[in-house]
Amino acid sequence: MHRRDLLRAFGAATALALIPEDAIAAWTRLAAGERPGRELGRTQLELIGAIADTLLPRTDSPSATDVRVPAFVEMIVADNFSDVDRAAFIAGLGLIDDAAKRIGNADFVALSPETREQIIASIESGDRRSEPGRTYWRLKDLIIHGYFTSESVMKTVLKVEVMPGRFDGDVLMPARAAAAGAQHND
Amino acid sequence: MTDRTHYDAIVVGSGISGGWAAKELTERGLKTLVLEAGGPVDPNTDYVEHVQPWEMPYRGRGDRKALERDHPIQRGCYACDELGHKFFVKDHENPYTTPEDAPFKWFRGRQVGGRSIMWGRQVYRWSDLDFAANAKDGHGNDWPIRYKDIAPWYTHVERFIGVSGATEGLSQLPDGDFLPPMGMTCVESDARPKILKAFNGERVMTIGRVAILTKQHNGRLPCHYCGTCEKGCVTHSYFNSLAATLPAARRTGNLTLRPNSVVAEVLYDSKRNRARGVRIVDATTMQEHEYTARIVFLCASTIESVRLLLNSGGPRFPDGLANSSGTLGRYVMDHHYGSGAGGVYPGFTDRKTFGRRPNGIYIARFRNVTKEHPDFLRGYGMQGGSGRNGWGRGGGMPGYGPAFKQSLIDDLGAWHLSASGWGETLPHPDNRVTLDPVVKDKWGIPAARIDVRWRENEKAMEKDMQTAMAEMLDAAGCADIRTHESNNPPGHCIHEMGGARMSKTADAGVVNGWNQAWDVKNLFITDGACMASTACQNPSITYMAITARAVAHAVSALNRGEL
Repeated sequence: MHRRDLLRAFGAATALALIPEDAIAAWTRLAAGERPGRELGRTQLELIGAIADTLLPRTDSPSATDVRVPAFVEMIVADNFSDVDRAAFIAGLGLIDDAAKRIGNADFVALSPETREQIIASIESGDRRSEPGRTYWRLKDLIIHGYFTSESVMKTVLKVEVMPGRFDGDVLMPARAAAAGAQHND
Repeated sequence: MTDRTHYDAIVVGSGISGGWAAKELTERGLKTLVLEAGGPVDPNTDYVEHVQPWEMPYRGRGDRKALERDHPIQRGCYACDELGHKFFVKDHENPYTTPEDAPFKWFRGRQVGGRSIMWGRQVYRWSDLDFAANAKDGHGNDWPIRYKDIAPWYTHVERFIGVSGATEGLSQLPDGDFLPPMGMTCVESDARPKILKAFNGERVMTIGRVAILTKQHNGRLPCHYCGTCEKGCVTHSYFNSLAATLPAARRTGNLTLRPNSVVAEVLYDSKRNRARGVRIVDATTMQEHEYTARIVFLCASTIESVRLLLNSGGPRFPDGLANSSGTLGRYVMDHHYGSGAGGVYPGFTDRKTFGRRPNGIYIARFRNVTKEHPDFLRGYGMQGGSGRNGWGRGGGMPGYGPAFKQSLIDDLGAWHLSASGWGETLPHPDNRVTLDPVVKDKWGIPAARIDVRWRENEKAMEKDMQTAMAEMLDAAGCADIRTHESNNPPGHCIHEMGGARMSKTADAGVVNGWNQAWDVKNLFITDGACMASTACQNPSITYMAITARAVAHAVSALNRGEL
């Protein structure tokens, strides 16, 4: 089948027109910069942004904050987490900053990139089930998900095709050196 | 909408079975009214398979509060997510009850097309191993039909809906009239011969047989591998009522489709001993209407059809219409499923997939085929697949900074191969649907009370699924093999069957070998309610074949003046 047949079948309707109304409303609020539940303060959002950019810094592809990962994290924390989980998460963020103060004598956001990495390495080497590891790993999962599902990363980094048009279960990958930025996650 | 109230035929439900009843009845010239409890679906505006994660506020993780409010039960189904919830009923409008110690998941879709909109699309013929199973071990009653009775109807259905698959020549999993199979991954292709060799050819891993087109077929386009069929398909590449059977019925000029029509009762004419028609509640106006017809087909889904019959009792049938046998509501089953194993597949790190295959691999039943297993009766098939996690592994992976980020972009991680069992459930009279004496739905119809439990045979089989899959992964050379045990309650597989079973004699079941109610000759029940056993194969294609076969019989009988 030709790609143009697929596109014709898909029609001119934009994807946004297919989203339920309540979802559009929530997304519009977010796009307008309105924070959903105002559950996270500026300090917490800055901490999330600093951790996110330490994990996924700007290289030849965007950084986590370039694609507004903190806004996605806040959306999930405000609307998707249960009250109990949200309270634990917010408290856990404070414990991550406490670890920063212990190791770097300052808030996480005020530290150098090297010291931030040192703190993250310290948390990652600890127990995942107790704080601050528990909150950190929950946050890391959201950061990775938010980054790789962002429009910019899906379109320009992963180059995901909405309608691949065929399936091949055995495709030779290019050598890693040539692969930077190439499509793999289709 | 039409003011007409009398038809040649009434079909209750527009899902997999109802769509087929409508097509076959209208093509034989019968003026047919299809009554659907839910509203219309417009593929151009309602299908959401191409909405990308970044277009969803919760990026696919769902609006938890809304789902907990509207879909507290339905959200247990993988397809009832941030976008797909629209195809599932609102639980507070559609209550059902269970005993406290017997949870049951009833996942339901009320819309034109029913659950065929978001079904799993896996289609496997049954064999005589299945149709003769009850007779062989004495659980349940013997089916009045065998494979030879239904085989031509399987072919009839496959040629219309389009089924892709590979022929394997297995007696327990008969081949069909297939479109070209979808491809296996390199890992699956590598594992298949190793497993075949290790188990002397007994364990056959094949590509899933699926009602998705791999080439243009009957005016529908082939799959474009976007990967999310459960959210709809604008190219109509997977089969559903909306894309195929209902349009075929409409083309005859004999179809009247009435959405938002909640059927409350089958009307019984005691003088003629016939179904006279149905009473409905209009879901939007709450007004009651009656429609009459010469024959009535119940295709409302297993539990809905049973509930409807139970709610259609009267002086002649105090325990439910067509229930002189006392079996109505009994022998309700589902597939027990989900136990199995997964492992890391070594090598192939320079290989990847292209396209999102909406299908997996299938391992045909190998237990109790040629020799008896000491721990359980009957058997199971296994469904699974392989892949690499890509960036999805990053959330749990240690690391940070440019190298970590680039590794999630460039390196897809190890290959994994896994599969889980779908097992046959023994028919049991106490696995039963009745009417709740108190609870009613939004339209005033008594709710179903469902008491279905897994028993020892199912539990023993779940154990074996884990061991057997781990053995196969080991034979394929996998590392880090881990078994998983399912804790899914009955209903979770969405393969509800039984409750108005087919039987050889009137005292043993609700319908005869033609799906005709023993007690009411112009009443036909052709959805999953008619099943006398479950086999281990996904059941939808059998509902379709049985429905088409029943219509052919019904129309012949009608034309002979027998109904």
